[in-house]
Amino acid sequence: MEGLSYARMPRVKIRELKDDYCKFELRDTDASMANALRRVMIAEVPTIAIDLVEIEVNSSVLIDEFIAHRLGLIPLTSERAMSMRFSRDCDACDGDGQCEFCSVEFHLRVKCMTDNTLDVTSKDLYSSDHTVVPVDFDANTTTTTDDNNNSRANSGIIIVKLRRGQELRLRAIARKGIGKDHAKWSPAATVSFMYQPEIHINDDLMETLTLQEKREWVESSPTHVFEIDPVTQQVTVVDAEAYTYDDEVIKKAEAMGKPGLVDIIAKQDSFIFTVETTGSIKASQLVLNAIEILKQKLDAVRLSEDTVEADDQFGELGAHMRGG
Amino acid sequence: MNAPDRYERFVVPEGTKKVSYERDTKIINAASFTVEREDHTIGNILRMQLHRDPNVLFAGYKLPHPLQYKIIVRIHTTSQSSPMQAYNQSINDLDKELDHLKTAFEAELLKFSRDY
Repeated sequence: MEGLSYARMPRVKIRELKDDYCKFELRDTDASMANALRRVMIAEVPTIAIDLVEIEVNSSVLIDEFIAHRLGLIPLTSERAMSMRFSRDCDACDGDGQCEFCSVEFHLRVKCMTDNTLDVTSKDLYSSDHTVVPVDFDANTTTTTDDNNNSRANSGIIIVKLRRGQELRLRAIARKGIGKDHAKWSPAATVSFMYQPEIHINDDLMETLTLQEKREWVESSPTHVFEIDPVTQQVTVVDAEAYTYDDEVIKKAEAMGKPGLVDIIAKQDSFIFTVETTGSIKASQLVLNAIEILKQKLDAVRLSEDTVEADDQFGELGAHMRGG
Repeated sequence: MNAPDRYERFVVPEGTKKVSYERDTKIINAASFTVEREDHTIGNILRMQLHRDPNVLFAGYKLPHPLQYKIIVRIHTTSQSSPMQAYNQSINDLDKELDHLKTAFEAELLKFSRDY
């Protein structure tokens, strides 16, 4: 078509990055794009989760359905998910778990032989594919404080507990899916964004307050946003992003008879994203996958050729009727 | 027992078009696009992108019912453009924006992993 374009060129700045956590700034775009990304990250980025369970023996205290549900909720490493097929689109199999393109098989065989309670955990699940395994939470938390959770360390996610003589034997099939289908497929633990706040203190008006009043005003904020400089006794903004748009400081200023003491603007084109994943994919990968999925979705809503052709004919007819 | 399958929410049924187009019978350069199996994610970004086009006089979308998995995008343009042209342009522009966003994020990721 024409060379004209109304596309924006957003800017990104990563602030903090860990395997399952990412905080970044997104600028020069609008809330619709930020919200679309958030929605896609939560509900439309695919992962792999257990979807079919065939129970051979279950003499545990939990019923079969209960165990199947718990198995479904275990996060599995899903780097492969983007290139995998949905089993409903897979023509190489009938989705019975025999196909490498759309499913991964798991086995679990545990029997308690001692008088101690036996914990059956995600570590007891044996995968047919070494790239798709239950997420190991201890592998990437070795540097954090191990003091009080030493007993829990390296234990995996508990599925069920067995007493002497009880047994659990099953076969499970994991498939690719999206959070819109069932929340177990959502890779996101938290995805949120906030408008970047811009806080301006009216210094002249602030100087009309006594130190006591300043303290009272600073204290009125439920979050730690402002501070009084111990030397100059001036009120300064220490952490603008701690502000939760609660309007408490504005109400306080009005109650003190000083309206306009502070001016707080939510910048409409700057967002601060917080992304946390369940561990199934890396947080940075989640953002990239979300962009890719959104692109695919947009591509799918393009008008098809026959729609355009049909309109061309009808359009001419329409022009005729209008006396063109 | 008689609940519809969960995939009904995002799989376009066979024999149904993803996007259908219907001209307004009374107003020139106005039309509605019915997009099957889409929601606010697509609806809202399309609407906001259409608002950036000065030839678009009106652009809006609605999700008629939460259990009908479709959205309706309505566009009214000036005689310089047409709803179809505006619709295509907005998708192209959003695609460009996402391409840019992707390279920007990847570059930042590379920079970040090198710095720390």
